Amino acid sequence: MRIVITGSTGYIGSHLTDLALQRGFDVVAASRQKPESSAVLWLSYDLSSADAVVLPDDTVAVLHLAANLPHDISISDEQEQFSANKLIKSAQAVGARFIFISSQTANPDAPTAYGRIKWRIEQDVLAAGGWVVRPGQVYGGRERGLFGTLVDTVRRLPVLPAFLPSPNVQPIHVDDLAQCLLSIAVGADTRPRVWCLAASEPVSFTRFLRAIASDRVRRFRLPFPIPVMAIQAMASILGPQWMARIGMARLSSLFDLPVMETASDLQRMGLTLRPLRSGMHRSGNGRRRQLAEEGLSLLTYVLRERPKASVIRHYVRIIEQLRDGVPLGLPTWIIGLPVMLVLLDDRAYAESARGAEFAWRLEAATVLAEATPQGARRFLDRKPGALRALVGMSYPVFAEIFWRALRIPCKPFLWRYMHESWGCQ
Amino acid sequence: MPVKPEFDVVIVGSGPSGISAAFPLVESGLSVLLVDGGRQATLSPPSHAFLESRRQDADQWKWMIGEGFHALQNRDAVSPKLRVPVHGYVFEGFATVNRIEPQSFVAVGSLAAGGLSNAWGCGVARLSKAEMSAYPFSAADIEGSYRAVAQRMGVSGGQADELSEYFGLDEYSQPPIRMDALHTDLYDRYKKHRLALGKNGFRLGRSRVAVLSRDLNGRKACDLLENCLWGCHRRAMYSAFDELPALQRHGNFHYESGFVVEGIARNENGWLVEGQRGSQERRSVSARKVMLAAGTLATTRLALQTLKLHQPIPLLSCPTAAFLLWLPRLTGFQRTGAFGLGQLSYAVDIKDGISAFGSTFATTGIMVSEFVRHLPMSRRYGIDLLGVLLSSCLVGNVFLPGHLTLAKAALAANGSLTVSGSYSDQVPCLMVEVGKKLRKAYFRMGAVLMPMSFTVGMPGGDIHYAGTLPMRIAPELGETDTFGELHGAEGMYVVDAACLPELSEKSHTLTIMANADRIAHYVANTMKSHT
Ligand SMILES: Cc1cc2nc3c(=O)[nH]c(=O)nc-3n(C[C@H](O)[C@H](O)[C@H](O)COP(=O)(O)OP(=O)(O)OC[C@H]3O[C@@H](n4cnc5c(N)ncnc54)[C@H](O)[C@@H]3O)c2cc1C
Repeated sequence: MRIVITGSTGYIGSHLTDLALQRGFDVVAASRQKPESSAVLWLSYDLSSADAVVLPDDTVAVLHLAANLPHDISISDEQEQFSANKLIKSAQAVGARFIFISSQTANPDAPTAYGRIKWRIEQDVLAAGGWVVRPGQVYGGRERGLFGTLVDTVRRLPVLPAFLPSPNVQPIHVDDLAQCLLSIAVGADTRPRVWCLAASEPVSFTRFLRAIASDRVRRFRLPFPIPVMAIQAMASILGPQWMARIGMARLSSLFDLPVMETASDLQRMGLTLRPLRSGMHRSGNGRRRQLAEEGLSLLTYVLRERPKASVIRHYVRIIEQLRDGVPLGLPTWIIGLPVMLVLLDDRAYAESARGAEFAWRLEAATVLAEATPQGARRFLDRKPGALRALVGMSYPVFAEIFWRALRIPCKPFLWRYMHESWGCQ
Repeated sequence: MPVKPEFDVVIVGSGPSGISAAFPLVESGLSVLLVDGGRQATLSPPSHAFLESRRQDADQWKWMIGEGFHALQNRDAVSPKLRVPVHGYVFEGFATVNRIEPQSFVAVGSLAAGGLSNAWGCGVARLSKAEMSAYPFSAADIEGSYRAVAQRMGVSGGQADELSEYFGLDEYSQPPIRMDALHTDLYDRYKKHRLALGKNGFRLGRSRVAVLSRDLNGRKACDLLENCLWGCHRRAMYSAFDELPALQRHGNFHYESGFVVEGIARNENGWLVEGQRGSQERRSVSARKVMLAAGTLATTRLALQTLKLHQPIPLLSCPTAAFLLWLPRLTGFQRTGAFGLGQLSYAVDIKDGISAFGSTFATTGIMVSEFVRHLPMSRRYGIDLLGVLLSSCLVGNVFLPGHLTLAKAALAANGSLTVSGSYSDQVPCLMVEVGKKLRKAYFRMGAVLMPMSFTVGMPGGDIHYAGTLPMRIAPELGETDTFGELHGAEGMYVVDAACLPELSEKSHTLTIMANADRIAHYVANTMKSHT
């Protein structure tokens, strides 16, 4: 089956092309430059060109991803819209579906020109019986597009900008999006419509950046609060031109993103999006690695030393086979400093659903740790002697008292953190 | 002309009761078919000393947790035994296959060849004359049966002590298995305060257990490797399974393992036992008589179904508790291999003629995790503490008489057996009282019953279910006669704990076996004299 992809060298386009080839599609790349890969056919396509585009006869779908990004002032908004219409006509000429990849910001009164032009093209596409896809915050895979910029920023900045109040984003992994696009291209649903595709629960932008730090860049970054008001003040002083020049224009569009209702579309698509932290990992699936980290942390907490790798593997298997296989989403500072688990290792916490799951896993880690020669040393074979034993028995009692006192002020924050991180690992 | 039944007797169940009923019948020459649920061990028990394997065996998780993580899948089961992978087959599938539906009640049973005795605690005792007052026969009538079964299974722990009379088994008993240092210390102290403690109704002695201290019938004596919880490779602990070969030497004995009985119907000259063989094959056999030995719960369902009796009937079960005992003098003691089942037992009078029974055990063979999870401390420091403390600790259990659980079993319209119940109102008070008495008594012996460690178990957690179809001199519907014959179902005998009219706090399995032996002798004699 042949599909035509415009913007196939871009961030989403390149992932889409890879997936389509993998699934056995014949891909025609419609772009300005000839793609390096010889696996795809090339069709010269330029947003600014007035020439008609002739598509191969057997094209089943056209996926229009090309956009005027980074913004080239020599191409006017009208030209972008005109170019899209031209492509719609070419698609109609060969009887192919037309799928336009728009934006969550698409709106007749969007604060950015980008959002407004997207909306205008959407109207044309729908009128011509095509499909519109509005993805949320696309992330994962290659470090390109807005995602690339954000990763780069987090990598370079010593701190993590934490906007106050934090805007929310609805992430979607680039490969999940690509899969959706292919399903739409060949799916049975033929009515023209707008698909809203992103995580149905928004996450704060700060958390999104934190996931970049912990799972992509893999560095600890201290959050640095930035009041949104300060940015808005800056914007009104500097004016839109300046904001665009320093790359703040797209960022500021984040601050008034409407929440998209996506649950029903995801359901119709039959797709469960990968959890954020999992998708943030370079492999696109960091779940296993996170479970291993979680296991390492719980086992080290119990054993007071690093467990053997085989025991960590057993932990991962247990969570995959007997539980839901989803990491708990422990904060990185706990993963790095397992003694801190004592703050969550509390009967009162175990009463909540989240806490009960934590307690189950800690129990599993305890049993696993004990059933090893290493565990035998710690659980069973202490050095003999009454005096040593008395010291050995009083120390944990004092330590317990100390941590219990510390737990009281930490409790509300930590429990809340754990609650929020549920499901968005 | 009616067709001749295929067998004289079909016995349903090869646990302690079924096996005990089989011997007299087979020895009298009757043709006997024994059937059971057919589950058998798939894993072998550890063969090295427990401490040695713990220190060296990198694959110890395989027998401690299991490759399918059995121990974690059964995390909430009542006893550590139910988490041991090697024993998984013993308990597997019982409630589903026998359609037992517990409601806030622990219902454990077995489909194994040998039944629950493959994983039991081996505690044995004989009932006193007084304890048999509700039984429709005299103590003398069962005396010979006690002797026969005790000698066959091999009992140890016999010595002249304060509990000799209580257990009543010394004349058939092998000498005790060596005690560990903790129990020896405790017992030495007890001897010094014996009289004073006795005045308070507390008596201590060696546990009488169905574990060999001398080789018997191909089974080997205990070698103190401390794998009692995990499975004994020497078969020193009694299991009814090990008696099958002796029965199979008789030509008139037939054994069909994996014949799950689902219903028993009357036919022209006896009974038709119907069920499932394997996963596909329907099977039915005819016999002149049937003996139910499927374990109290399964037996009760089969009996009520035959009688079409849907009324709820009472079920006896012993309330239980457990506690941790610390011997401060032995703090910092280095663990050594020891016998893992009951080493010392106590009997204590509580009040109004009610007494409690229990035993104490070494902690080494039990996972420390089993204790940590009950400790009101965080894991890390809990392990720090118990890693040191437990080597000078023992665990103990408590059993109260079975009438103190108010439980009921009823055949539901859909044919399943619902089992529900709770402890009687007296139990909380009695448990507090037992706790106090034990704390005092052990303190006298220099041991501390650890604060907050005294924990009352779930109803049904004793796994001593009895008395649903009690033997009576004049039985009514749903009861059995002096020889366990079910009223209204002539030729159907109940030979497991379901027919016991009363359940004391003592271990009851030896009594079940003796009673099955007694009934089988009677049935053998009557059948012989008819032919
Ligand atoms: C952990 C634990 C510790 C224990 N400790 C002690 C102790 O210390 N002292 C003590 O006295 N007792 C103890 N018991 C109880 C003891 O194990 C039982 O009382 C004893 O096994 C009962 O014997 P039984 O033959 O009546 O039944 P079971 O042992 O339950 O045997 C039942 C038999 O019936 C078969 N069966 C079941 N259903 C069917 C069916 N539908 N069709 C065909 N066959 C069927 C099974 O395969 C099995 O062979 C303990 C039990 C457990 C679980």
